[in-house]
Amino acid sequence: MARFSGGKAPFLRITDSGEKGTKIIMRDFIIGLLPVVLFAWYKNGIMVYIDGNISFMEMLYPLIFIILGGFLSVLFEAIFFYITDKSARNVKGIGNKLKLSYGAIPGLLLAMFLPLYTPIWVLMFGCFMATIVGKMLFGGFGHNIFNPAIIGRVAIMFTLLGVINNAGGFMNASEVLVDSYAGATPLTLFSISKTIDYNVIVAPYGNLWNFFIGTIPGSLGETSFLVIMISYLWLSIRKVINWSTPLIYVVTVFILSWIIGMVNGEAGIWFPVYSILSGGLAFGAVFMATEPVTTPRNPLGKVYFALFIGALTVLFRFIGVYPEGVATSIIVMNIFTMPLDNVTAAIRSTGIKKKTIGKFAFLTILLLLIMVYAVIKSMNLYSLSIFFVGGLF
Amino acid sequence: MILRKAKGIHIDGFKKMSRELPLREYLDPQFVYIPLLQQNSPLKKMVEIGSDVKIGQVVALREGFGAMPIHASISGKVTAFKKVWHSSGKMIEAIEIENDKLNRLDDSILPEINIEILSREQLIQKMRDAGLSGLGGAGFPTYIKYQAKCPIDTIIINAVECEPYLTCDFMLTMKYPEKLLKGLSYFIKAANARNGFIAFKSYNQDIKSALEPLLNKYPNIELCELKDVYPAGWEKYVVEQVTNNTYVKLPSEAGVIVDNSATAICFADMVDNNIPLISRVITITGEGIKHPQNFYVPLGTKVSELIALAGGYVEGLDPKTAWYLAGGPMTGRAILVDELIVNDTLGAVIVKGIPKEAEHPECLGCGKCSDVCPVFLTPTSIKSAFERNDVSLIKNLNADKCMQCGLCSYICPSRIEITDFVAKAKALMAKGA
Repeated sequence: MARFSGGKAPFLRITDSGEKGTKIIMRDFIIGLLPVVLFAWYKNGIMVYIDGNISFMEMLYPLIFIILGGFLSVLFEAIFFYITDKSARNVKGIGNKLKLSYGAIPGLLLAMFLPLYTPIWVLMFGCFMATIVGKMLFGGFGHNIFNPAIIGRVAIMFTLLGVINNAGGFMNASEVLVDSYAGATPLTLFSISKTIDYNVIVAPYGNLWNFFIGTIPGSLGETSFLVIMISYLWLSIRKVINWSTPLIYVVTVFILSWIIGMVNGEAGIWFPVYSILSGGLAFGAVFMATEPVTTPRNPLGKVYFALFIGALTVLFRFIGVYPEGVATSIIVMNIFTMPLDNVTAAIRSTGIKKKTIGKFAFLTILLLLIMVYAVIKSMNLYSLSIFFVGGLF
Repeated sequence: MILRKAKGIHIDGFKKMSRELPLREYLDPQFVYIPLLQQNSPLKKMVEIGSDVKIGQVVALREGFGAMPIHASISGKVTAFKKVWHSSGKMIEAIEIENDKLNRLDDSILPEINIEILSREQLIQKMRDAGLSGLGGAGFPTYIKYQAKCPIDTIIINAVECEPYLTCDFMLTMKYPEKLLKGLSYFIKAANARNGFIAFKSYNQDIKSALEPLLNKYPNIELCELKDVYPAGWEKYVVEQVTNNTYVKLPSEAGVIVDNSATAICFADMVDNNIPLISRVITITGEGIKHPQNFYVPLGTKVSELIALAGGYVEGLDPKTAWYLAGGPMTGRAILVDELIVNDTLGAVIVKGIPKEAEHPECLGCGKCSDVCPVFLTPTSIKSAFERNDVSLIKNLNADKCMQCGLCSYICPSRIEITDFVAKAKALMAKGA
C-alpha cells in the first residue's frame, strides 16, 4: 500500500526542538514588555506613593490598568470567536482558538500607549477598536492590515482625547503638583507653539536627561527611552524583532530634526535629541514599527518602511493638529505595507538593474520629497524667504 | 552590477553519528534491482528473464538526451522484472538480478595501459561508456557537461556535502584521497581546463589534512575552504565562492564544471581499470538506526538489508510509522517503506520517527524566510502572489531563482510549508510564461 502522508521537505525544522516557534516569539515579546510595564508602574505608582500623593490601592492602579488592557482584548476576542464560529462555542474550542491568536498583546500595548487617567470605559472602547475592528474583522491574527494597538490608540485620541483630559490626562498625582508642567506633555507644548525653542519645550521639564530617564509626563509606557532601550536589546538578541527597523527609524527622525533645527536657526544638538526622546517615538519604534504582521517581510522593505515612518513622523509633528506623529505615521505606512513589500522584494531579488532601477528611484525620490516637504513646512514664511533669498544672493 | 554572492546560514549537521564507524563494504547482496529510470527518463532494457549477466555488463540503455549505458552491478542471472520503491518516491520497474557470488567480471573491465596518451575525446567517451552520472544527488550525465561548447577554465570538486546527516562523500574521500586527486586530474584533462579546486566545508578539516600532503604531485590543484553554512554545497554557491564569478543557468557559462567528489573517485577507477558506475557509498543514519554508518554497496542493493546490517532499528521505533528520508533531510523525499533500493542518486537514507502533528499558527510575517533565503527572495510575497494566481508578480519576484534548498520552511516559526508554495509558484510561472 502506498502511504503518502510523507510530509514535505525539509524534514528538519528549527521548531523541532520547541524553542523557536511562534509561541516562543510571543512569549519573548511579552517578556520584552516587562521592563516597560515595571517602569510605568514605578513612575506612576510607586514613586507617587512614596511622595505620599496616593493611597496604597491607587499605587497598584497602573499595573492593573495595563493588565486590564490585555485581559479586555482577550475577552473581546473570545466573544468574537463565540459569535462567529460555531465550533468555538465551548471552553475547549475557544481555548484552542485563543491559543493561536495571541490576543493579549494588542490590549497590553494599547494600555501602555495611553495616559494613566484614561477612564476604564475609554480603555474598553480602545480595546474593542483594536481587537475587533483592527484585528478580528480583517481575519484575525496574521491577516490584519493595521497595527491593532495603534488603531485603538488613534480611535481614542481622535475622538475621546477631551474625556481623557477631563479625567486627569497625562499627569499622575505628583506631576499635577509641578507648576512648570502646566498640564501638558512636551509634545503638546510643541504642537501648540510649533517653535523650536529650548525654553518653551524642554525647560519646563528640567533637562533632556529627564526625557532620557523618563520622569516626564506622558503615556504610561512611552516616557523612558532608557527602559525601552533595554527592551530593544532583549528583543533584538532573542530575534523577536528586526534590530534594524527601530534604529533606522530613530536615526531618520534624528537627522531630519537636526536639519530642520538648522534651517530654523537652531543648530544645537538638543533639538534632534529632544525629537527622539519625546513622545512615543522610542516606544513606537521598538514595539509598533517592528510588529511583524503589519510591516514588510523582506529586509529591504523593512528599511524603507523605517525610513518612511521616520520622515512622516517628523512631517506630522510639524503639520498635524495632534501632538503625536508616531501612531499616525505607522498607520499610514501600514496601508502601503503590501505594495512596498512586493516592490522591495523585486528590487532585492534582482539587485539594482535596468529592470528595477525605476522602482528604486521612485521609492527614494518619494522619500526625499516627504523629507523636503517636512523641512519646508517647519519653516515659517519669514525664515523661508530668508532661506531662499539668502540662497540666491 | 557588483556580484551579490549567494549566502547561507549555519544549521545543525547531525553528521557525527554516522562518522564514528568506518566505511563498511557489503558487496554480495542476494539480489540487486537495477531501476529502469534515470533522471525521469525511462531506460530500455537489454536483457531478458533468464539472461546471464556479469559485473559491468550493459543491462539497460538510456536514450535521447544523455544517452548512455547502465551496467549490472553483480554477476548472476536475471530473474524477474519487478516494481520496486525508488528514491523518487514512486514504484519503478527494475531488473532483478540474483547473485551467483562468483564475481565474474565483464570482459571490458581491464586495467588501462596507456593512461598517459588518452585524448580528451577518449576520456569523454569513457565517461559515457561507463554510464557516469553525478553522484551528488542530481544524477546529471557527466559527459554532457564535458561536451559543453564554452571554454572551460576550472574544474571544481564539490566535497562540501552540506545536507545534514550525510557523510557518504566524506567517508569515501577519507578512504581514497589519492583517487580523488587522480580523478580530478583526469577531469581537468577531459575538459582541457587549466586548474582544479576541491571545495570543502570548514567543518571537515579532516579532508584538508588528508589531501594536503598529496597535493605536491598535482601542481594545478588547490583546496578551497567554504564556511560551515547551508546550502554551501549548492553548485552556484560553490562556484561563486571559489571563482568570484557567477552564472545564470549552467556553470559552464562561468567557465567552470562542478563535479561531486564521489564522481571523481569513480572516474579515477573508470580511467584506470575501466570499471563502470556500479557501486556507491550510502549513509544509513538517523535517530531510528542503532549503529548509523556508511556502506559501500553495488547499485541496486535493498536498503532494508543495509538497515539490518546497521543493527536494525532502535527500540521503540515502529518501522511502519517511520520516515525513510531518501537523499537528505532538507531536499530529499520521505518514503514510508524500507523496501527502497540504492540507485546512483541516493546518498543517504535517514530513518526517523514521524513527528507528531505540530501547531500551525498563521504566518506572523516575521520575514525570517526572507532573511535566510540564499538568493534574496521574499517567499511570503511569492506565496501570496501564488494564492492570487498573479503570474506577472511571481515573475517580478524572481521565483525561478529558487532552487528549493528548504531553508525558508526550515526557519519558519509557524511551520508553514513555504518552500512548497514557492516551488508551486515556480511551476506556475514556468507554465504561464
